Amino acid sequence: MAADEKKSLFELRRTQPAFRGLEAGHLACQGCGQALGARLVTEAAGPDVIVANATGCLEVFTTAWPRTAWRVPWMHSLFENAPAIASGIEAGLKAQGRLAKVVAMGGDGGTFDIGLQALSGMLERNHNVLYVCFDNEAYMNTGIQRSSSTPHAAATTTSPSGTERMGKRHLKKDLLSIIAAHHIPYAATATVAYPSDLRKKVRRGLEIEGAAFLLVHSPCPLGWGHDGALTIEVARLAVETGVFPVLEMERGDVVAVMQIRKVRPVSDYLKLQARFSHLFKESPEARVELEHLQALADHHIEVYGLRGTSPDPRDSEGADTVRRGGLRWA
Amino acid sequence: MGVKTQGAGPVTLTRGAFAHAGSSLGLKTGDWRVTRPVHLHRASPCHNACPAGENPQAYLALVEEDPHAAWESLVSANPLPAVTGRVCHHPCEIECNRGKFDEPVAIHAIERFLGDRAIEHGWDYPVGKPASDAPEVAVVGAGPAGLSAAYHLSRRGYLVTLFEAASEPGGLLRGAIPPYRLPRPVVEREIERLLSIGIRFEPNRRLGRDMILADLEKSFRAVFLAPGAERGREWSVGGVVPRDLRNGLELLQEWLSIGSLPKYQRVAIIGGGNTSVDLARVLKFNGVPEVHVISFRTRPGPGVSPDEAMPALAREIRQAIEEGVMIDDCRGVTRLILRGEQVVGVEMVHMKELPQRDGTRKPVAFEGTETVLHVDHVIPAIGEEVEPFGMEAVLGAHQFFPVDAEGQVQGHRGIFAGGDARLGGGTVSDAVGDGRRAAEAIDRYIRGVAAAAQAAPASIGIGELNLNYFDHAPRAGIIFLAPEKRNAETEIEAPLGAGEVARESERCFSCGECMACDNCWTLCPDNAVLKTTEMASDGSHYLFDYDYCKGCGLCAHECPVGFIAMVDEP
Ligand SMILES: Cc1cc2nc3c(=O)[nH]c(=O)nc-3n(C[C@H](O)[C@H](O)[C@H](O)COP(=O)(O)OP(=O)(O)OC[C@H]3O[C@@H](n4cnc5c(N)ncnc54)[C@H](O)[C@@H]3O)c2cc1C
Ligand SMILES: Cc1ncc(C[n+]2csc(CCOP(=O)(O)OP(=O)(O)O)c2C)c(N)n1
Ligand code: SF4
Ligand code: SF4
Ligand SMILES: [Mg+2]
Repeated sequence: MAADEKKSLFELRRTQPAFRGLEAGHLACQGCGQALGARLVTEAAGPDVIVANATGCLEVFTTAWPRTAWRVPWMHSLFENAPAIASGIEAGLKAQGRLAKVVAMGGDGGTFDIGLQALSGMLERNHNVLYVCFDNEAYMNTGIQRSSSTPHAAATTTSPSGTERMGKRHLKKDLLSIIAAHHIPYAATATVAYPSDLRKKVRRGLEIEGAAFLLVHSPCPLGWGHDGALTIEVARLAVETGVFPVLEMERGDVVAVMQIRKVRPVSDYLKLQARFSHLFKESPEARVELEHLQALADHHIEVYGLRGTSPDPRDSEGADTVRRGGLRWA
Repeated sequence: MGVKTQGAGPVTLTRGAFAHAGSSLGLKTGDWRVTRPVHLHRASPCHNACPAGENPQAYLALVEEDPHAAWESLVSANPLPAVTGRVCHHPCEIECNRGKFDEPVAIHAIERFLGDRAIEHGWDYPVGKPASDAPEVAVVGAGPAGLSAAYHLSRRGYLVTLFEAASEPGGLLRGAIPPYRLPRPVVEREIERLLSIGIRFEPNRRLGRDMILADLEKSFRAVFLAPGAERGREWSVGGVVPRDLRNGLELLQEWLSIGSLPKYQRVAIIGGGNTSVDLARVLKFNGVPEVHVISFRTRPGPGVSPDEAMPALAREIRQAIEEGVMIDDCRGVTRLILRGEQVVGVEMVHMKELPQRDGTRKPVAFEGTETVLHVDHVIPAIGEEVEPFGMEAVLGAHQFFPVDAEGQVQGHRGIFAGGDARLGGGTVSDAVGDGRRAAEAIDRYIRGVAAAAQAAPASIGIGELNLNYFDHAPRAGIIFLAPEKRNAETEIEAPLGAGEVARESERCFSCGECMACDNCWTLCPDNAVLKTTEMASDGSHYLFDYDYCKGCGLCAHECPVGFIAMVDEP
């Protein structure tokens, strides 16, 4: 490539029609869902935003010292205290009378497990912070250990499948109910498969005065065992099977759901991922677990009322379907 | 770890050491890649299906924003869109990928919209005036084949003289296809503008009568023969012919030129093609109480393959039935029942075209299924062949011109033929395509270059699209005149309005071509897709930044239209 073309590529980067909050050159795996999720969140929130980031893949792959992929002010925190740091930033800004949006980010390990106490405190004190959890359903950065968010029957290095067990023995923690119990103004789930829905929820979470929580389902090709090209496909299937309900809550009440027009069997989702491959071997135990996962997805569909045929069943406002000549990704 | 810091050489960094923060852009993650995404233009099924060579995908993409540009794209292949938009059998819609999802895009209605727009606004064809010393080419016959050849030769800078036996151009478009589906003003205004690009049009000049082929070969660098098929085939049932036998095409042409028809009560038209069905409808519109169309083929419908079906357009057959024409399909005529030399009925038998031992297909009659149909006239409409007068030298004993893949008459260098005058084809869009291919071949012939052997690229299948990004949307509802309101003069199919055209064009999947949906730009986890209209030279709006692209393939998987392919790193 000619030198001037390189230069113009660099300039092109600086003149993209939308703010790109997370720059290229980060070290996430090929097809990382979290890297995509973090960029989408940052560009919907930014540029006038301060990010507090719990350690985990996101923190590690974006900040190979002394370089950073972040194009917004960003602060590293410990594994367990991103919500506390964000609370402090918000309180400090308030004390100085300055205006900036504050977003805290953490993985599922940082959120469902070790940071839950700090998160609960932040929500209880109703800080004006949006907390975003990138849920890749295990401790990926340290080598795929199970977390309380790991789905039932998924294999991880600490919940392997073998003669005794079919992957993780326990259920995925129902974090949403815990969040709901805090009675915060806004909480939602989203996925990297539906970027406009995700961005809309980020904006809404920041608009609302008080604490907001967003759970972003983020496939991890390495930990889930799927091709990096299939990240969106896997995320989409999680929604279409009912495995990952996409919804919005206000004051703990579900106020909107992304409806599923044609519900697909949960095996469509599972069979793309090596972490569930033991469920597809002929055995009575595997059969039981497959049926169990199907029942869990059916349960979601039932309790959240996910089945439906609104004009845009995939999205509560504006589907991610393509049409010519329109700015679709709002 | 050696890290370059500002002004300093490589240093080993310890805990608490200092360095200026730098952007991650310094880390060129592109070297992780083993496969790379590339933009790849793929042929759409509609494009590959069009006998005239149109690329509907291209003009559907333009029509909403810039109808004039859409029309120019369309007429780069077919100069007669207002005509074909109305009378083509639209194989594009049969192959349209959208048809496997919900319903095909109503391509023909948009083609017609563009053709009509051009007529209405008097848009000039994108053709420059040929140089006065440009090589000269003769075209014989001003039907769609000849018109298309003349147009495409002019586009390539040749001086074209177009000889036509009749006093006006158009061939069967003017002379046979009835106005209820091809209004005459449309034909006239489209052809008039087409001829004005600098084609020398010579009406009332019949090859064989007013000039001979050898003269043309002498005065012109090449000749394109497009005389259509004018001569009705001989017809009898076991050697028996009724006294007042009239041929179907002849009756239709007579009605079109002088407006009169013989008085019939009950008629059987033999043959399942357009002439048969059009004549049946014209007779019905003119008050004939009972009109039958007898064909050994099946009426078209779901599950009926094109070679089993009656060759007339499916839509025309459907409308004919609505108008009261009786279709006796899968029937053959075994006997004419005469009183003297006057027909009083025909004996019909169940028939089906079946494969023979030698691989051909032949109609087989099933004994014991005979019935009698009481009619006072039978009219054969079983097809025409080339009128050999004046063309014997190149036609030989053939009924149609034997041409090679280039359109050149076998054994006659510099003489090309196409349209109804060659075997196969038999539709307006085939004729238009023949004209274009012949123009290209003539151009190569005159410049003395060989044809580049290239197989047409396979079209992109529906399996190569990502259908998750498309919503179901009903096809534009096209309004047809109610059967009781129809007559022979008023056009039956209503046009789509500009709004409906825009909406319908948005239903196109844009198979194999970038539709600027932003998916790759939005979804790349590595921010390695950059958006630009100026710098993307491949018709897309995006560039891959290979310094950072890790080659995960996510963009290729999520591209709705199959425009991104992953290829091995060089
Ligand atoms: C009733 C009817 C309905 C049809 N409906 C459809 C339809 O719906 N859709 C469709 O696709 N096709 C239809 N067709 C077929 C279509 O019309 C033809 O395939 C098409 O017109 C062929 O074009 P052409 O240019 O080869 O020949 P033609 O249209 O026949 O034109 C040939 C021209 O050459 C002139 N000519 C002939 N001999 C000489 C000579 N010696 N010297 C100079 N000029 C000469 C003729 O006068 C004529 O103008 C229909 C045909 C008929 C008869
Ligand atoms: C108190 C503490 N315990 C353990 C670690 C090691 N550690 C760093 S990241 C990580 C896992 C992070 O998992 P998660 O929050 O799910 O983020 P992911 O890497 O999966 O994106 C662990 C265990 C730590 N940094 N601090
Ligand atoms: S391990 Fe998973 S979450 Fe971490 S960078 Fe790789 S793909 Fe992304
Ligand atoms: S969807 Fe569009 S591009 Fe694809 S075949 Fe149909 S008209 Fe052509
Ligand atoms: Mg995790």
